[in-house]
Amino acid sequence: MIRLFFAAARFQVLQMRRSPGDLLVLVTLPLLSVAFLSILVESGDRDLAPYAVVGTAVMSIWSIAVFISGGIIDTERRGGTLEAIVPTPAALSVIVVGRIMTVTVISLLGLPESILVAWAAFGIRIQVVHPAVFLLTLACTTIAVVGTATVMAGLFVLSRSAQTYQNSLTYPFYVLSGAVVPITYLPGWLQPVSKAVFLSWTSELLRASLLTAQPSRVPFQLAVILLLGVGAFGTGLLMINRVLNRLRRQGTVGQV
Amino acid sequence: MTTAIRDHARVLRYASMSAIADFRAIYTWRTWTFAWLIRILCQVSLFALLGRLLGSPGKTSFLLIGNCVFMVANTATQVISSTAWERMAGTLPLLVASPTAPFWVFTGRSVQWLLDGLSCSTVSLFLLAPLFDVPLPMPSALLAVPIMALTAVSTYCFALVLAALVLRMLSLRSLVSSLSGLTLMVLTGVQVPISFWPTPVRQLAEVLPLTHGLQAVRDLLAGDALVRIGGQAAIEAAIGVGWLLVAALAFRRFAEHGRHDGSIEFGA
Repeated sequence: MIRLFFAAARFQVLQMRRSPGDLLVLVTLPLLSVAFLSILVESGDRDLAPYAVVGTAVMSIWSIAVFISGGIIDTERRGGTLEAIVPTPAALSVIVVGRIMTVTVISLLGLPESILVAWAAFGIRIQVVHPAVFLLTLACTTIAVVGTATVMAGLFVLSRSAQTYQNSLTYPFYVLSGAVVPITYLPGWLQPVSKAVFLSWTSELLRASLLTAQPSRVPFQLAVILLLGVGAFGTGLLMINRVLNRLRRQGTVGQV
Repeated sequence: MTTAIRDHARVLRYASMSAIADFRAIYTWRTWTFAWLIRILCQVSLFALLGRLLGSPGKTSFLLIGNCVFMVANTATQVISSTAWERMAGTLPLLVASPTAPFWVFTGRSVQWLLDGLSCSTVSLFLLAPLFDVPLPMPSALLAVPIMALTAVSTYCFALVLAALVLRMLSLRSLVSSLSGLTLMVLTGVQVPISFWPTPVRQLAEVLPLTHGLQAVRDLLAGDALVRIGGQAAIEAAIGVGWLLVAALAFRRFAEHGRHDGSIEFGA
């Protein structure tokens, strides 16, 4: 199983090298960073730059999860290769998780990229003041993103218009996750919904790791990210197996 | 002369009908309303919330209006991708071989994005402005709709130029489409006044679509004189016409080049 996982991860690296369009978000990220940072700089609020940096990074991580990781099974199906994968002894869920893990780790590059843009475009130096919090948050977030993307991979394969749903899963989640603007600025009725989105905890912790104030309740927040991620992961695995069984039963593995 | 105009109008009409058919294939009214429109409302809200984070009602208003109008331009840039779909579908050789210039076909072929963008921008402006306490002077605020329509058309003309270039490099269609939208977002006064940027960037913004159309909407909602608003709208229209001429040349050059070296293939 571990060999299969790493083989899938390696395959994903090779595939992304051949399809640079998969990393489109990382190419366009500097312009989005500049858009957010320019608002803060023009208003004389340079000290809020970590909000923009964390915001664009979280947005890129989520966007890549939705468009690339979420579409992994659907892409195989549309390409006609899912039919060849399904009858093999290799577990599809392990292949999917290995590939999603690779995509997620690559998507984390958005964070250093965003920090670099702040410095290059506006001379703003962002420092990681609490490196342990920073690294632990990234680790837990990676697990949660993989879990959530697994659910999406299962869901999108059933949809006739996955791209419509992929498009609409971006900005609503950027708002709910407090990626740029903390969730305390959202209407009261929306804040409990935000708490169920793991990215809202990620955004808060990442911002805290870049600010001088001592972060509070770190273990609790990390535990929530992990809990939401593991919950999603379990649901995702269940969903992939059920979807696969349904496609097999209906004889539509190769149909789009 | 009259016959030529009538022929071009007929081609535009049929191309527009195909565009609308495409749009119906992409969205149902449910997916448009509950998936796409909600996404657009969230995008505008995100930037308006940033104004609240900054504790400035003026900034909230600036960002809300800027991003509402930006939606019409951003949606219009989708002509870049949808023009490329035509080549991917393998129908381009037939178009190039037909007696009509491809420019007329492609000008009408993606008009669905104009309607889509204008609908999104209009709903965003009139729904979100009251929620974020941004005053809309009625009934004059309704004039924002035709100005946004004009902005959509001028951005569409600009994006047609990029679409003609992308027809040669199909793999870049998504990248060019995204980058052009984001460039307009950064440079044309959507998030910050164009005076924020250095002079060369400001000069570039002056000839890009959206800059003057957006300024006209801002002036309108600020209650400025109609002469000033009309002046900005006229500049936006002139910029649109300029880009449309460039687009006509770019499509003609593309077709001539393709005929010359046989590089326009059947199928992607």
